[in-house]
Amino acid sequence: MFSHPFIKFLGRFYRGNTAAILGSVIIATVIFMSACASVIADNEPNKRVARGHQPPSAELLLGSTRSGKDVFSQVLHGGQISLLVAFSASAITTLIAVAVGISAGYFGGRIDEFLMSLTNVVLVFPQLPLLIILAAFLGQVGPLVIALIIGLSSWAWGARVIRSQTMAIRNKEFILAAEVMGESKWRIIFVEILPNLISIVVGGAMGTCIYALMAEAGLEFLGLGDPTIVTWGTMLFWAQSNSAFVVGAWWDMVVPGAAIAIFGGGLALLNMSIDQISNPKLKTGGYIKTWRRMKVEVEAKRAAL
Amino acid sequence: MNFVVRRFSFYFIAIMVAITFNFVIPRLMPGDPVDALFAAAQGRMPLETLQAYKEMLGFVDGPMWVQYLKYIKSIFTWDLGPTIMLYPLPVTELLAVKVPWTIGLAGMSTVISVMIGLLIGTYASYNRGGFTDRFMPGFWAFVGAMPQPVTALFIFFILALTWKWFPLSYGANPDLEPGWTWDYITSVLHHAVLPIICMILGGIGSWIFNMRNAMINVLGEDYITMAKAKGLSNRRIMTHYAARNALLPVVTAVSMQVGFVMAGAIFIETVFNYPGVGLLLFKALGARDYPTMQACFLLIVVFVLVFNFIADLLYLWLDPRLRN
Repeated sequence: MFSHPFIKFLGRFYRGNTAAILGSVIIATVIFMSACASVIADNEPNKRVARGHQPPSAELLLGSTRSGKDVFSQVLHGGQISLLVAFSASAITTLIAVAVGISAGYFGGRIDEFLMSLTNVVLVFPQLPLLIILAAFLGQVGPLVIALIIGLSSWAWGARVIRSQTMAIRNKEFILAAEVMGESKWRIIFVEILPNLISIVVGGAMGTCIYALMAEAGLEFLGLGDPTIVTWGTMLFWAQSNSAFVVGAWWDMVVPGAAIAIFGGGLALLNMSIDQISNPKLKTGGYIKTWRRMKVEVEAKRAAL
Repeated sequence: MNFVVRRFSFYFIAIMVAITFNFVIPRLMPGDPVDALFAAAQGRMPLETLQAYKEMLGFVDGPMWVQYLKYIKSIFTWDLGPTIMLYPLPVTELLAVKVPWTIGLAGMSTVISVMIGLLIGTYASYNRGGFTDRFMPGFWAFVGAMPQPVTALFIFFILALTWKWFPLSYGANPDLEPGWTWDYITSVLHHAVLPIICMILGGIGSWIFNMRNAMINVLGEDYITMAKAKGLSNRRIMTHYAARNALLPVVTAVSMQVGFVMAGAIFIETVFNYPGVGLLLFKALGARDYPTMQACFLLIVVFVLVFNFIADLLYLWLDPRLRN
């Protein structure tokens, strides 16, 4: 059972890689806890269960909000929507980035020129201010719209990276061989090129996930989201508009903030390790130690001779 | 020369796209923002004002392309109309007061992040497997993943509100007369410390990360081995051979970051009540002041393009191949 190549790959990936292990554990825990929110938390997220701004206690693990709602339950339920927004925005972005990047890189010529000038224009636009203006004109927007506008506006950088990588692969012999054998263009793109880009695509998707998480929180913090839906961003918005810090109810603000930071941090740690698959030179830690030890051993042997 | 011309035409296209975006967005909205404003004012708004807004947002009579041309003309003649929050103060005058503060914050924090980030990144890559190399990138990746409003609020709460080391609000002590006096300058610096720290915390990670990765790729090149073989000092190899080449991809990657820095300014200025463009945008959101919002957006786009232009100049300086 343990000889399956994918499991072997996972073993190689995680061995000695503290950042990857830590990141994966954090991500898995947060996803699990949000998914099982209604089982773990006793109270409904939108039900008044206590007096306002009660500090954390045995009964209310993370205290209550100004309007007396259970912060623990809110952060778990809010996680469901925040994570969903982050993942779907990231999925949209990745799809567009891969489509644009590979077409530009593989087909070249006019298509490349057109797609890249489009990409470069989108790239210089400051995304978050753009989102803020869009959201402001649309009025208070729900999570679905936020996911859509983040997804549709942040693919440019990924497209550029994927394009340059595609161009590097396109000139390799195995692509030439596939072309000579008469494989169709689609087969070449999906079977020959795409698998070689997996680590870059996955890395980019996770980077976008972090970005989308923060962008959503930022938009909602500024009051542009729908404040009746419980997400990590609207929790921050309510805490801020009730001046949680000033009245001493730090848990109201710190809990959703920490949830975003922990999940984002977990993604960032895992992302670093995925970068190291696409570019093994970036590895650090255990590998370098092993290499140093071997170097010392070899030098000692030489000296003994 | 060719390079410069190409870049300038690109910037022109980008500006035009931003203007077009500003023109199209109010027209795509369900309902008319000007009528919504008129309704919200509950009869306190004179009809001339209503007309002024319509012109400002390009809602003049006539076919779409005439409206579009008029809108472009008003932008290029720097006539952005009156604000709604502080009617009838022109948007341009309001912006002129706010811009220096934001440039100060963004400029100072970028310069500091660049210096510290490049140093740490270079050092980490040159001492592979050392403490800096093993822990700095992960640590800063983690810090960079924290939502900026929360970091800012946290720092505000501890350093300004609880310990009272730094002022709570404004860009300078409002009792002081603005001018080149020692008191005023120190007051400005004192007020800027916390916002700048917050901006550095949000942005420095990408510098460290990009620099380290670029350096590691460059250090594997043959010319580094060659330089070592020639017996050059480590320091000279690091600065003149490796870092200079490694900077090229870093400059591109990070010129893209300016948009992120400007976005950070919105949250940080809001938290510290700092009188810059970010806070103005936030207040405009609350007041549904569409002309000011659009002007802020246009201005942020211009900021980003200017930074990109600086990055281009740096490119020309770093890479002699582009000069002919």
